[in-house]
Amino acid sequence: MLSATIWWAGIFLEVAILFRGFQGKFLSKYSFFYAYCMCVLCAWVPGYFLFASGSPLYGNWYWVAQFISLIVGYGILLEIFKHVLSPYPGAEKVARITGLVVFAVIFCSALIYPLLAPQGSGSGTMVEFERDLRTVQAVFIFAIMAVISYYRIPIGRNMRGMVLGYGLYIGTSLVSLAVRSYADAPFTEVWRIVQPVSYDFSSLIWLVALWSFHPNPAPESAIKLEGDYERLVTRVRRTLGTMRTYFVGTVRP
Amino acid sequence: MTQLIFFILVGLLLIASVFLMMARRGRKAEGGAQALVDARHALSALQLDLLPSELVGRILAMRDSEYIRAETSPRIQEMFRRERKRIALSWVRQVRGQILSLRRFHLGAARSYAQLSFRTEIGLALDFAALLFACRVLQVMLYLRGPYAVPRMVEATASAATRLCSVSEKSLAFLKPAHPGSYLDHSAGAA
Repeated sequence: MLSATIWWAGIFLEVAILFRGFQGKFLSKYSFFYAYCMCVLCAWVPGYFLFASGSPLYGNWYWVAQFISLIVGYGILLEIFKHVLSPYPGAEKVARITGLVVFAVIFCSALIYPLLAPQGSGSGTMVEFERDLRTVQAVFIFAIMAVISYYRIPIGRNMRGMVLGYGLYIGTSLVSLAVRSYADAPFTEVWRIVQPVSYDFSSLIWLVALWSFHPNPAPESAIKLEGDYERLVTRVRRTLGTMRTYFVGTVRP
Repeated sequence: MTQLIFFILVGLLLIASVFLMMARRGRKAEGGAQALVDARHALSALQLDLLPSELVGRILAMRDSEYIRAETSPRIQEMFRRERKRIALSWVRQVRGQILSLRRFHLGAARSYAQLSFRTEIGLALDFAALLFACRVLQVMLYLRGPYAVPRMVEATASAATRLCSVSEKSLAFLKPAHPGSYLDHSAGAA
């Protein structure tokens, strides 16, 4: 009964999000995000009937749907780039390079870890595989948020809700998957509830945040400096260097 | 078990950072004329008000302390010491505030500049962080050990303040807009 309620609540929320986007004519503004919602909805409806009928196909369906939604979920990161970072080319560049560095580190770790890990630990389950992919997503979100926060880039209501909802879902999923991959059996029932509930909660956040279209605040007119960036950096750095000398000299007894 | 803790930590860190990010409300977009004026004000404050060697030397002058110790009661001495400590802490706090203002200006300008250098940005971020950390260390030392606990303070302050003044003078050039007019001068005059 509880499971069915959670399923139907999720389906209802997804439909409502899509309906509001359609009604407000902003489906195309956040095309990646709505594609993700549509994808999840398409996975949930047949998934529910397979689950309710106790079909053996449910297990396979679940993992295929999870994998596809995980990949499409990267679209939300693209929305963040498109709406939050693209008006700020400097910050966007830093975020892009940070993303590449993160990807390189993760890729190298994935290559090196099996060589260093004790034998037998390489036989990963589907739960471990999803946990690892969610971790990659979490690190990407974290890196993007760090750049947004460092450059104090303003975020509008729509994007704020999108980041909050997805971040919460990924974080909760990661914790659940970590516990499940460590000790599955005692947590099977809890797992069946926690992840769908966290997704319902995220959907609720998205529904509220995307009830109407709120574009991201446009940047104020950029400062037109006489010199270029190099000049700015050189002078700020010189000032900092002098001040650092000053403080080091001051603190040293 | 280590794996479990690692993944749980990543998950919780993400949730916490998402909430922290949502909490930073009310920040208006920066990078406009106001940021320019603020940065100019920050440099002026550092140059004229906070870092002149006479001022720093006066705040932390041992002669005053020696005079008070020789001529007044222990109660007055304690009161004097407390006041000096308060002034010194207030001074470091203001210097730190102006450095933050300078950083805000830099970030406001750099975030819109497509040709910025990633390596330079990382270097600058570390520089700002180190300087702000140094301010914190100074605050803690002043708080714990009092205003006269750092003997070389006055000497180092005098020489560094002189250097900073000359560098800051040149730095003001990067705060001039493409079409200068009289906006900045007017703002600075009004400030």
